[in-house]
Amino acid sequence: MNWLKKNKLLALLLIVALVGYSAYKYAYKPHKTIEELSIEYTGNATELLSKIKEDTNIWNSKIVELSGKITSIDTDGITLNEQIYCQFKEPLKTKHLKENQTIKIKGRVIGYDDLLDELKLEQCIIK
Amino acid sequence: MKKTLIIAIVLLSQTIVAQKYFTRTGTTHFKASVEAFEAVEATNNSSTAIIKTTTGDFAVQLFISAFKFDVALMQEHFNENYMDSDQYPKATFRGRLEAFSLEDLSEGKEFPLKGTLTVRGKKKEINTIGKVCLKDDKIKIKTSFSVQPQDFDIKIPSIVRKKIAEHINIKLDYELAEKK
Repeated sequence: MNWLKKNKLLALLLIVALVGYSAYKYAYKPHKTIEELSIEYTGNATELLSKIKEDTNIWNSKIVELSGKITSIDTDGITLNEQIYCQFKEPLKTKHLKENQTIKIKGRVIGYDDLLDELKLEQCIIK
Repeated sequence: MKKTLIIAIVLLSQTIVAQKYFTRTGTTHFKASVEAFEAVEATNNSSTAIIKTTTGDFAVQLFISAFKFDVALMQEHFNENYMDSDQYPKATFRGRLEAFSLEDLSEGKEFPLKGTLTVRGKKKEINTIGKVCLKDDKIKIKTSFSVQPQDFDIKIPSIVRKKIAEHINIKLDYELAEKK
């Protein structure tokens, strides 16, 4: 107690610094990466597509792990079962993939795109 | 006679097939920064766009939650407090590039672009110019316009009012490939 009385200013400074530091930590917390986020749905592509048609919006922003068949490939991502477009976290990771290959990916659902009639996923990684 | 007819049909069917160009990974950027304050800007790299080359019809759809901010907390607030992205997940634009044609596009050309932007279920008419160029069978389109938060009923608390610009600049930069 004696020490506190003697060093009031120092103690105050310490508290201010601590509060400031935790506020900064909170305000500038990093983005959660796809690897850190826990999976909310695991299944195959066909199943998910039929579920999406029942209720589209509840799937928005969900983290899913899907297995399916690659039906097309471009530089940014792949299409599973002709109707699920998976945009990769790192675009060029699609290079070694082949059409008709079965694959398991983890990604975040962006939403159902009714311009192209397909489900969009982002931040995808190969499992 | 028969031959010309067949050639005509072949040519015609080709133009019918090659009338749509699209992208799923277009870049849409917005900036609502005020000088001397922290930058308020984000990029959406998952915008879908379609151009019908016969008419110049231009349609865009993107998801609000796919806008990426540098600051994670800002992104959270943007989705939850300002845009209500759970309730209004999409933003769309439907419009037309006037007098559009694929001819002489290699150097790039400007077309008047008119259409309706829908954000948070509210519509706003947009009148701007689209710069279009055709290279390696890909249509590149760039355009920009400015909107205001009140156009879409976006409420900004008075504490942060000064940190968010009155006019928000939106930039579209898409590269569209032929849809087969």
